[in-house]
Amino acid sequence: MSGRRSIVIVGGGASDVILALHLLQLPLPDLRVTVVEKRPSFGRGLAYSTTLRDHLLNVSAEGMSAYADDPEHFRRWLAKRGLGRPPDTPYYAPRGTYGDYLEELITTLEKEEPARLRLVRGEAASITPTASGVEVLLANGASLVARTAVLAVGHDELPAPSMRFAIRMGSAEDTPLDPSAPVLILGTGLSMVDAWLSLEAGGHRGAIIAVSRRGLLPWPHRPGRPMRLDSADIPLGTELSYFVDWFRDLVHETKQSGGDWRDVVDGLRPFNQRIWQSWPASAKRRFLNHTKAWWDIHRHRMAPDIHARMRDALRTDRLTVLAARILAVREEEGTLAIDIQHRQSRAVETLRVARVYDCTGIAKNLEEGSLAIVRSLIERGLARADPFKLGLDVTRECAVIDSDGAASDKLFAVGPLTRGTFFEIDAVPDIRVQCKALAQRLASEVL
Amino acid sequence: MLTRKGKYGLKALVYLAQQPVDRLAFVGDIARINNIPKKFLDAILVELRNAGFVQSRKGKEGGYRLARPAEEIMVGHVVRVLDGPLAPFPCASRTRYQPCDDCDEATCQVRHMMLDVRQAIADVLDKRSLAEMRDCAELEVPLQQQA
Repeated sequence: MSGRRSIVIVGGGASDVILALHLLQLPLPDLRVTVVEKRPSFGRGLAYSTTLRDHLLNVSAEGMSAYADDPEHFRRWLAKRGLGRPPDTPYYAPRGTYGDYLEELITTLEKEEPARLRLVRGEAASITPTASGVEVLLANGASLVARTAVLAVGHDELPAPSMRFAIRMGSAEDTPLDPSAPVLILGTGLSMVDAWLSLEAGGHRGAIIAVSRRGLLPWPHRPGRPMRLDSADIPLGTELSYFVDWFRDLVHETKQSGGDWRDVVDGLRPFNQRIWQSWPASAKRRFLNHTKAWWDIHRHRMAPDIHARMRDALRTDRLTVLAARILAVREEEGTLAIDIQHRQSRAVETLRVARVYDCTGIAKNLEEGSLAIVRSLIERGLARADPFKLGLDVTRECAVIDSDGAASDKLFAVGPLTRGTFFEIDAVPDIRVQCKALAQRLASEVL
Repeated sequence: MLTRKGKYGLKALVYLAQQPVDRLAFVGDIARINNIPKKFLDAILVELRNAGFVQSRKGKEGGYRLARPAEEIMVGHVVRVLDGPLAPFPCASRTRYQPCDDCDEATCQVRHMMLDVRQAIADVLDKRSLAEMRDCAELEVPLQQQA
């Protein structure tokens, strides 16, 4: 097998399927792609496993094609299933439907091209470089040998160790809950909105309190005209304050000429990775500490209908959002007592809830994460966390960097794991571009 | 287009890139050696400091130095800070667009071409670091003949 152009993709989310699709588009008859997926179905990850119809994509259909070169692909797939919408109407499809889309693409391809694509269910336990390639060992003892391996494991699925009093919604620990019990959600971003929607759909009547340091809620999408920008227009490589001043001025001018801040945020999107990469470490750190929360609510927006429902729930106190930080957590007679300090008043309050859901999002220390394959690579010095511990340290070509700072020619990573280098690499529009570039590079230089 | 301000700023930065790391350079020295009016240089250095390219210390022993290694500071990034969006003509900028009074931007072939030209300028300037600019000045060879 190692004589052929062979790749093992260690999956877990959508990025493994998107990379496999781009690889199989290449005119390489001797290509052999093996996708290892720990979940029961391919391409769904955490995000697209949901069956709740209210869990919508946060990007409209044209942004969600699996193919970087064919933005209409998902829309056409929807239309074939009678889910079509008129062109120019933003459509935020249910996320479960998107999971169906990716799964169908990859399983169809497996049937059509059995010689080039193999789907394996199992959990990868370790990856070891060999003289001629890599060996991927699965938890069930099976061994896969290939020229290269790509990590596409998606998001970490467990709360950080310091937050183990919280659980992830839908996990095994998420046992049936008294519908009148008060519930606390950590985080006020899009994951919180998902959790609140699930609770509502399940008939929860008790208090739902969401807390984050700033208590900022995501904005809704609105049709607009993304500003046309070129890289020559955008300040690069500056300190954060300089960039923020430029951004604010541009938003101000755009509003004065009848536009919306979304036009600026969306116009910048094609350049976000480049802006991030151009910044000195000091600007990156300041952004993560002070600006990211604010950026996220403008950049990662939600479908307008869901936003309207959330406003309604806030007005009628079915949902409460607090700006506060967690001071301490105790277990008291079967309930969790959580001391919080309010951001504005500095007042300390104790919340008593039956359950705490972790929706703090995805930026957490990778070295303490639950992804065994990633921890094992770090422990053996084959990989290291990026300077901000957002993900694995990788080159701009997606090569994994080892503990000595050397870039691997056998081990690569895509998707959210590469956040330290690419920053905005959680959503399909960015992942598909990254996967296309990596597929082409692997074919021309590595395999 | 590169103004005198942009040119002086780059000269000052290249001078700073030639100094030993951590040594502060006096504004008077930078101005005299590079033939830059001192008052103009003062204003330029303040802008470069605000953008995070140089650091300064006040007082008698005060002066300027690069805020990070010369390898990490790109020429194009500096020019945008000093001269605004890279644009060979005022109409060939998207954020600082100034229409010409004698043509229509949508159909003007000259503007269309100049947008391509400025992208080419950006592509060159954004790949050149201050360190490369400094080193080729010392070797007296054009940048493109290195590498």
